Amino acid sequence: MDFVETLRLSGRAIRAHKLRSALTVLGILIGIAAVVTFVTFGASLQADVVGQISETSANNVYLVAAEDDEGFAGAGRPVFTESDLDTFAGVEGVERVVPRGILSVAAISHRDDTIARTRATATTPDAFASSTFVAGESFELGSEEVVLNRRAAQSFETNASVGDTVTLTLGGGRTRNLTVVGIIDGSAGEVPFGAFGSQARVFVPTNPLYNTVVESPSAGAPQRVYPQVTVVADPAETGAVRERVEEVFPETDAAQLVPDGFELLAQTSGDLADQVEEIVSQLTRFVTGIAVIALIVGAVGIANIMLVSVTERTREIGIMKAVGARNREVMGLFLTEAVLLGVIGAALGVPVGVLGGWAATQYAEISLTLAPGWFAIAVVVGVVVGAVAGLYPAWRAARVDPIEALRYE
Amino acid sequence: MSARLYCFGNHSRARRNRFHLTVRTTATPTPDSPVPTLPYHEAPGWRTIHARPAVSPGIVTDGAQIAVEPGDAVVALTDVEKRYRRTEEVVVDALAGVSLSLPEGSYTAVMGPSGSGKSTLLNLVGGLDTPTAGTVAIAGTELSGLSEAERARVRGEEIGFVFQTFNLMPRLSAAENVAFPLVFQGVDRAERMERAEELLADVGLADRTDHRPNELSGGQRQRVAIARALAGDPALVLADEPTGNVDTETGDRVMSVLDGVNDAGNTILLVTHERRIAEHADRIVHLRDGRIQDIEPVEDAAESNESDGDAADAGAA
Repeated sequence: MDFVETLRLSGRAIRAHKLRSALTVLGILIGIAAVVTFVTFGASLQADVVGQISETSANNVYLVAAEDDEGFAGAGRPVFTESDLDTFAGVEGVERVVPRGILSVAAISHRDDTIARTRATATTPDAFASSTFVAGESFELGSEEVVLNRRAAQSFETNASVGDTVTLTLGGGRTRNLTVVGIIDGSAGEVPFGAFGSQARVFVPTNPLYNTVVESPSAGAPQRVYPQVTVVADPAETGAVRERVEEVFPETDAAQLVPDGFELLAQTSGDLADQVEEIVSQLTRFVTGIAVIALIVGAVGIANIMLVSVTERTREIGIMKAVGARNREVMGLFLTEAVLLGVIGAALGVPVGVLGGWAATQYAEISLTLAPGWFAIAVVVGVVVGAVAGLYPAWRAARVDPIEALRYE
Repeated sequence: MSARLYCFGNHSRARRNRFHLTVRTTATPTPDSPVPTLPYHEAPGWRTIHARPAVSPGIVTDGAQIAVEPGDAVVALTDVEKRYRRTEEVVVDALAGVSLSLPEGSYTAVMGPSGSGKSTLLNLVGGLDTPTAGTVAIAGTELSGLSEAERARVRGEEIGFVFQTFNLMPRLSAAENVAFPLVFQGVDRAERMERAEELLADVGLADRTDHRPNELSGGQRQRVAIARALAGDPALVLADEPTGNVDTETGDRVMSVLDGVNDAGNTILLVTHERRIAEHADRIVHLRDGRIQDIEPVEDAAESNESDGDAADAGAA
């Protein structure tokens, strides 16, 4: 029995019960589509985050005080004093040292529009060294100025533009009127914890707005203290600079200020990218695992409908055997039918899944990255699911006793 | 008398009744009768006839010679017993020692009350079942030694089934149904369909090739089934109550088609409980309680079955 004829007969059996076949295919389609959606979204997320890190700041070394074993996730204690900044600046191969402080902003207003609960980053003009200004330029230290990223500028009812005044409401109800001097693209190389370039960002000069201070153990005087420091290294020796920075950690104020259970960490963009990649892919695997359950349900659907089909077509099986079909030809016919259902489900599931992934990336406002390897895997999975689900029903069909089958009503 | 019949030639599955037999016509052959070299038909003492294959096409290999005794049985049952174990204690003797042989080109009816073993006999001859004891040979092939797959092959190539309930594939057209047995013999589609159309024309359904079974009347369906039974050039056509599901008039039409099939040289075994139907055959085998009670020749057969294409007759001449 040739394969074309097997396909023809299987196809006809599938078409004979259109609704039933469609629903069975739908089961597989949903499973495959769910997997492809999550995988596509995961790949897009990863590409977006990793791309952002390595693109804008390949030569950045990020310094934080992090809780043990938590990596960057536990960062946030202000430990790096102004003296430390000078220490880091003196390390060989360091081009710039950019401190970053977090300023809690109760609200930010532009004209009549107010946005509540925002966060501002207090930093120095060096932070913008590798950023693209859409308009204007960096603020000056000691001035009442602010730099917004494009997203932040657009989040007001009327877009904020250079020369406008925005009002920051700080803790305790104090307000500061700041002049918008520049609008940038992206997030100015900020440590990317969920900091996709598309998030709204407000940058203010450390002086006069950032007032978190501590008594510096080395200088013996109150100094500003920052939770994050970005050391911009000579691109040729980013790794070496990180090691040298780690070597000077014991001499810093931060080493003394760091609380128990915390440690100082220096990581390059590459380290971060690896970490983020790991986190994203773990997440993707987990969610995809859940989607696989949908696929298993689809497989059960195929097995179920094939068993019904074998029972319904008992007499046909009897006829086939009477006219010379061997058991394995009967089995092949039913197996082909099951595989065909699986393959149709997979073939339709992939585009639907890509569509789902695209919708998810649109929602998250990241660009779509396809994972074509997974499309091939999806089709293979469709074949395997169909074959596995069809194996037992096909075996049952092959074992049908032709004498009984021909009498079957 | 053991005249020998040698046959040569190539068998084309799609060309029924176009099998060339070269037979030796001398009355007393020697055991080591020389096989003539090509061309056979010009050798002295030999002549070529056109006939249905006397033996399985599967056995004929190129250049081989096969000896066929005149009137060689297409089906030979020897001391066949079949027992079914209903429970631990109850064992049913469906057949208790049946010997029967169906010569090439013969037309045999089997009659008997229900429970007489008709169905069991049919299943055994059809290669659907194996005997508990005794032997069943179809076209020289002993069935009991075969695997399930080999028996399926014999069913496909040597036997054509005609059922009471037609048993056509519901989603296939009439032509595809007729061609269906050839699917399992590896015949390509174009050849299959050509053969199917020829056969449908033979049973008067040339204009119904594309109809599905549910678009055909009972009689038409049965004629499609008969055409299907002939598709693989079988050694035996097995008809199980072929008129059981159609009215009398349609039944007569079906029987006349079957008669024509026999006239063309096909061997037929017909199972029926209607005397009127059984009388279409040359002889009636009466079964009772799993034994052959009587074999009754039918005198007034509607027409002679001694057709000119009968290989057995030619061989015995």
